[in-house]
Amino acid sequence: GVDLNALPRPLDGDMEPKLFNEMYPSNCSSRFLRLTTSGIPSSQSLASRWHLPLGAVVCPLAEAPDGDEVPVINFSNSGIVRCRRCRTYVNPYVTFTDAGRKWRCNMCSLLNDVPGEYFAHLDSTGKRVDLDQRPELTRGSVEFVAPTEYMVRPPMPPLYFFLIDVSVSAVRSGMIEVVAKTIRSCLDQLPGFPRTQIGFATYDSTIHFYNLKSSLTQPQMMVVSDLDDIFVPLPDDLLVNLSESRSVVEAFLDSLPSMFQDNLNIESAFGPALKASLLLMRQLGGKLLIFQNTLPSLGIGRLKLRGDDLRVYGTDKEHVLRLPEDPFYKQMAAEFTKFQIGVNLYAFSDKYTDIASLGALAKYTGGQVNFYPNFQSSIHGEKLRHELARDLTRETAWEAVLRIRVGKGVRFTSYHGNFMLRSTDLIALPAVDCDKAFAMQFSLEEALLTTQTVYFQVALLYTASCGERRIRVLTAAAPVVPDLGEMYRHADTGAIVTLLSRLAIEKTLSSKLEDARSSLQLRIVKALKEYRNLHSVQHRLGGRIIYPESLKFLLLYGLALTKSTTLRGGYADVTLDERCAAGFTMMVLPVKNLLKLLYPSLIRVDEHLLKSSGHDDLTSIEKRLPLTAASLDSRGLYLCDDGFRFILWFGRVLSPDIAMNLLGPDCAAELSKVILGEHGNEMSRKLMRMLNKLRESDSSYYQLCQLVRQGEQPREGVLFLSNLVEDPIGGTNGYVEWVLQIHRQVQQNP
Amino acid sequence: MSEMANTDPEGIDGVRMTWNAWPRTKVEASKCVIPLAACISPIRPHPDIPSLPYTPLRCKTCASVLNPYARVDFTAKIWICPFCFQRNHFPPHYGMISDINLPGELYPQYTTVQYVLPESANPNDVVSGGVSQSNLPPPVFLFVLDTCMIEEEMGFVKSSLLRAIGLLPENALVGFVSFGTQVQVHELGFSDMSKVYVFRGNKEIPKEQVLEQLGLGIPGRRPVGATAGGYQPKPVQNGFPGSGIDRFLLPASDCEYTLNSVLDELQTDQWPVPPGSRASRCTGVALSVAAGLLGACLPGTGARIVALVGGPCTEGPGSIVSKDLSDPVRSHKDLDKDAAPYFKKAVKFYEGLGKQLVSQGHVLDVFASALDQVGVAEMKVAIEKTGGLVVLSESFGHSVFKDSFKRIFEGGEQSLGLCFNGTLQINCSKDIKIQGIIGPVTSLEKKGPSVADTTIGEGNTTEWKMCGLDKSTCLTVFFDLSSSDRSNTPGAVNPQLYLQFLTRYQNTDGQMMLRVTTVSRAWIDTAISSEELVQGFDQETAAVVMARKTSLKMETEESFDATRWLDRSLIRLCSKFGEYRKDDPSSFMLNPCFSLFPQFMFNLRRSQFVQVFNNSPDETAYFRMLLNRENITNAAVMIQPSLMSYSFNSPPRPVLLDVASIAADQILLLDSYFSVVIFHGMTIAQWRNMGYHTQPEHQAFAELLRAPHADADMIIHERFPVPRLVVCDQHGSQARFLLAKLNPSATYNNANEMAAGSDVIFTDDVSLQVFFEHLQRLAVQS
Ligand SMILES: [Zn+2]
Ligand SMILES: [Zn+2]
Repeated sequence: GVDLNALPRPLDGDMEPKLFNEMYPSNCSSRFLRLTTSGIPSSQSLASRWHLPLGAVVCPLAEAPDGDEVPVINFSNSGIVRCRRCRTYVNPYVTFTDAGRKWRCNMCSLLNDVPGEYFAHLDSTGKRVDLDQRPELTRGSVEFVAPTEYMVRPPMPPLYFFLIDVSVSAVRSGMIEVVAKTIRSCLDQLPGFPRTQIGFATYDSTIHFYNLKSSLTQPQMMVVSDLDDIFVPLPDDLLVNLSESRSVVEAFLDSLPSMFQDNLNIESAFGPALKASLLLMRQLGGKLLIFQNTLPSLGIGRLKLRGDDLRVYGTDKEHVLRLPEDPFYKQMAAEFTKFQIGVNLYAFSDKYTDIASLGALAKYTGGQVNFYPNFQSSIHGEKLRHELARDLTRETAWEAVLRIRVGKGVRFTSYHGNFMLRSTDLIALPAVDCDKAFAMQFSLEEALLTTQTVYFQVALLYTASCGERRIRVLTAAAPVVPDLGEMYRHADTGAIVTLLSRLAIEKTLSSKLEDARSSLQLRIVKALKEYRNLHSVQHRLGGRIIYPESLKFLLLYGLALTKSTTLRGGYADVTLDERCAAGFTMMVLPVKNLLKLLYPSLIRVDEHLLKSSGHDDLTSIEKRLPLTAASLDSRGLYLCDDGFRFILWFGRVLSPDIAMNLLGPDCAAELSKVILGEHGNEMSRKLMRMLNKLRESDSSYYQLCQLVRQGEQPREGVLFLSNLVEDPIGGTNGYVEWVLQIHRQVQQNP
Repeated sequence: MSEMANTDPEGIDGVRMTWNAWPRTKVEASKCVIPLAACISPIRPHPDIPSLPYTPLRCKTCASVLNPYARVDFTAKIWICPFCFQRNHFPPHYGMISDINLPGELYPQYTTVQYVLPESANPNDVVSGGVSQSNLPPPVFLFVLDTCMIEEEMGFVKSSLLRAIGLLPENALVGFVSFGTQVQVHELGFSDMSKVYVFRGNKEIPKEQVLEQLGLGIPGRRPVGATAGGYQPKPVQNGFPGSGIDRFLLPASDCEYTLNSVLDELQTDQWPVPPGSRASRCTGVALSVAAGLLGACLPGTGARIVALVGGPCTEGPGSIVSKDLSDPVRSHKDLDKDAAPYFKKAVKFYEGLGKQLVSQGHVLDVFASALDQVGVAEMKVAIEKTGGLVVLSESFGHSVFKDSFKRIFEGGEQSLGLCFNGTLQINCSKDIKIQGIIGPVTSLEKKGPSVADTTIGEGNTTEWKMCGLDKSTCLTVFFDLSSSDRSNTPGAVNPQLYLQFLTRYQNTDGQMMLRVTTVSRAWIDTAISSEELVQGFDQETAAVVMARKTSLKMETEESFDATRWLDRSLIRLCSKFGEYRKDDPSSFMLNPCFSLFPQFMFNLRRSQFVQVFNNSPDETAYFRMLLNRENITNAAVMIQPSLMSYSFNSPPRPVLLDVASIAADQILLLDSYFSVVIFHGMTIAQWRNMGYHTQPEHQAFAELLRAPHADADMIIHERFPVPRLVVCDQHGSQARFLLAKLNPSATYNNANEMAAGSDVIFTDDVSLQVFFEHLQRLAVQS
């Protein structure tokens, strides 16, 4: 038997690997780069016994805490110092010789000349005397200002183009008003003032452009209905400089909500609208934000109501539903990327809207999919407001390409996330930001590695919003290890789970859900079996379950992954659109966010609320509980937070006072209809303060607070109990069953 | 000088004929040289025309309308149709009829009457006078504005448009389309912001697609406010409930503000024009989009497209020239040599547009203002077939455009009386055949026994459509006689012939009217005497008819030699009607009934209608359209300008259109229809320059200076398009406007003979005198 309580749980969230940075203090922060194991196998035969992914998760623009910003370096005179042969950027691991006149590349060992302007004498230990003024030689994360040879054209201004569905369903959802008001409120914070460009188009059965010429007193709406042969109705002024046309832009945003309030048009000429956006944006590139509500019904790219048929599940046709129906969307995405356009899709439909097809736009342009099923502004408005504001105001890198270099003998073989691969190792990212992470796998090219250390260097060449062309260079070293135990010791569960998730989601695009789950399980089993084999020699293991300390949460995260929206169950468990949307989202999530989504935090809040006021210290309530019903007390009030939403669970016998304080007169109402708001009492204020604090700790998504009462079925099950991943719900394994099952499989002979 | 007479030669009927007595046979008629033709002004107002508030009685056999020429048997309550001799019973409500109690249409003096037709033509409802004004369809004005022009021109045309909109009747529906590289249809009913529908300029768009793209097609795709239940800016009131077109066409009173602000912010075309190129201007697509939009109106709605064009169409269908500026716009020479690659295609396009407009009953007006040509020659077919107006000027700032444009929208006395949806039907006595009409009409291809085998102009029919017509619209109907030998026909030979013109139209208020004009003329046997025939010759009408026929032949017959044809016709006429001894030119005499005609022909030969190479094809098209639609008096002035002389010693008097009429101490006033020239003799100009007219003792001189201006103002005031006024002095550069029109009796060839103070014309043209000498010689040749 297995004691549930004794099983390991990641109640402290993501554990960043320490070893890695301890060994190599000059490495870039693990915010930017994490390896699934920083013990690089010394041979192919060793690598083949690892079974888990061998790779990295890169979040090139991860937000840095204050004081730890990436230094910007301008080599205005000498040019950027790079290895002549392998183009590696100068970094802390290069060595200077020959009295400072030469430097040896850490990647390929070539001896390069030090350019005259970069020359410095070496001290007695062989270090450059100017080391303290050379952050590129001491820090693993730096940014170089790129000279003109890194540009194919003058750096583009930040450009935001909004494509907004105004068909009847969009109007009725209230989405348009929230979008218009949010954009208006963000105008001052859009990056890149005073160069920022902005433009809008709306669509139903026709495409509407807006002339925002600064000299106009009001915008002019220009309708193009020739869907088969879409064209741009003005040569300029559809995309304008925001600061010049500010008043016209504001006038437009002010009238946008009312302009379509009586629109009864049910059609969506989405495909033609996309083509129109491309025509407009192709000059400069930029960010295309799409607000989509109605299944594309007219013109190119129109989509069918694909039958999400129960009978398809479990057959080899199942995955087709999760693939784009029309190649148009991928082709458009390719075009967008070519012209440096990144697409973020905001989808709101209350009906099937084929996220599988539409999501391709974001997937191949480095964008993201934000899905608000059955959006109603009264309920979801706040979430949209925050997430859109985040999208508009976060620092964005424009017209970017990313490449990761690695030392001799190692080669990156696959990339996973939202981007377009421009060549075998060059990732095109028209617009990328701090909330995007990319996973990649490498393999050994040679049977044996001869070096002691393998270096990784990520280079992101991009245009900053201020108009500077820059290269962000992230360098890390990792030791080459001769045995599997070392590899395990250096393993990073977070990176592993992130890669496993990406791979599993990709698997759902070519296989049944069931196959994706079992191949995940198989990998875990194989890895543990190998580990068991490793130790069975020295130890008498008997029936004990053993796993490396570094991977102690792998089992639970693996279980949570099979229960995630992307992989869970079959036909009835998750709607097709939600599953696809979750897939697109998870493909870009950085490690921390992903782990929190897989294993949300569950905390009890009633006790905290009852404490005397003035005691707002979050640490006192951040005691996370295991995700099992056993953690719940019917007298309590619990908050579940997966980083995307809050669920506030009211125990059946929670003190009515608390409910009264928090919900006011709504406390007896059906909770699905109640929107949590602040009431005039300290307890309510305290709860709201607490929620806001939690939200502030990571603002990449906004957690809308949903309320559920214990026993309120089926809502409780869908909304809340499904998060209790340790419990066996609806025929799935509980944590204990899962562990036992894996253990059995590990013990089986191959 | 009978052409200066103040009498009203058209009379109540508005009909003038080349011959007021007709020969009986086809053979005789052909010997008369000048064709049998009637010029009719179908809705020319006349104070004596009675208005009858009921539906007319029609002959049950030939459908002609009861008229004063019908024989009436009061006791039997029967009338006999003068056209087919059918005996028709009067209906019961005519029961009280007697020789002293006649209905209006039987009064002998009322050969023209006007019926006010009840709206729902209920045949039993004879006196339905109380037509409620509110149900009448409002007129529709769809302005189509070119935006490929310099800011200054744009300013001019905008201010003209603004003024026009202010003048429109409140209920008139207004729409607005602008175009350049693309077409923009302005949705004036959209209140949130200025809104346009944009169409590609380089692609032909079928009517159905125009409607669909404007959201006037499928209900589920209609935009804001177009569907019941949604917001409707001004429902039903517009008269097209539910069609959605009320988004684009709004009562003038409702959209004046919107239109003002649209015009205020309207920019010149924003698409870049590369150096050495013409602007990309899609006039053709703009007009077809406008036509498509109007196609959504209820049928029978009087609507006009008012196009304001500032240059040639270079984009899409209807293009008349390439964008390359080194490629000039086609000239007459190019057309002659078939070296105008765009011409035929463009004409074909505008023909199609014209057809569409005619089928919808809508009018195309073109106001072209540009230094170069804009394609009036190509558009002519659409303008003319729909009865549209056309004005050609050099600039939108020029008074020719400004004042003409304003005239269209003015009401009251000044009103052009623009009417819509006209049809003309002609009934005629047996043996009279209709060859066709020259003028702003379209044949409705309604065949019948009175349709001639040969066609002139719009023929093959007894019924024509006139989408637009006004009080000065004039048409020329060509007749032929049946070739059968009439003497063999049994029964009495009728001494009179009858023609009946039935014009149905919607008047300026939207009211349906039927104008019935019945005319009668005598048949004469020319074998017995040609006296009556000669007396019935209308020289002025004949000259105009010859001019119109010549123009038509020049346009339609390849390698037609107009001068030769006119000369031969004149010689034949003179041979037939002149008195002379064979081969003795000095014996030649012409009856006064013909005496002015040769001079008309002389001037016609020299006119812009025949000497087209002096003008551009656009100008020629323009001149011809006006020649064809103006009344005889005005058309005659186009051929042979009038010249008045003002001097101290006598009241203003007409003088010969001859260079000899120039005198240093006189002022001349030339009216050539398209321009009015005030020409100061040298001495007059000197005195004026010295300021004599401002001195009290030279009051008479001041008055002399003023008099021609007052008369010119009167001419300008009454004319549409407004003529160009040229004020010049003898030997000034502008004097060419006068000299070009004068008979070159004194040329540099005979300069030594000229009197002091007169002028010389530098030309090789033959003078009238030489022309006459030739004519006499040829006429008397055996
Ligand atoms: Zn190197
Ligand atoms: Zn009859």
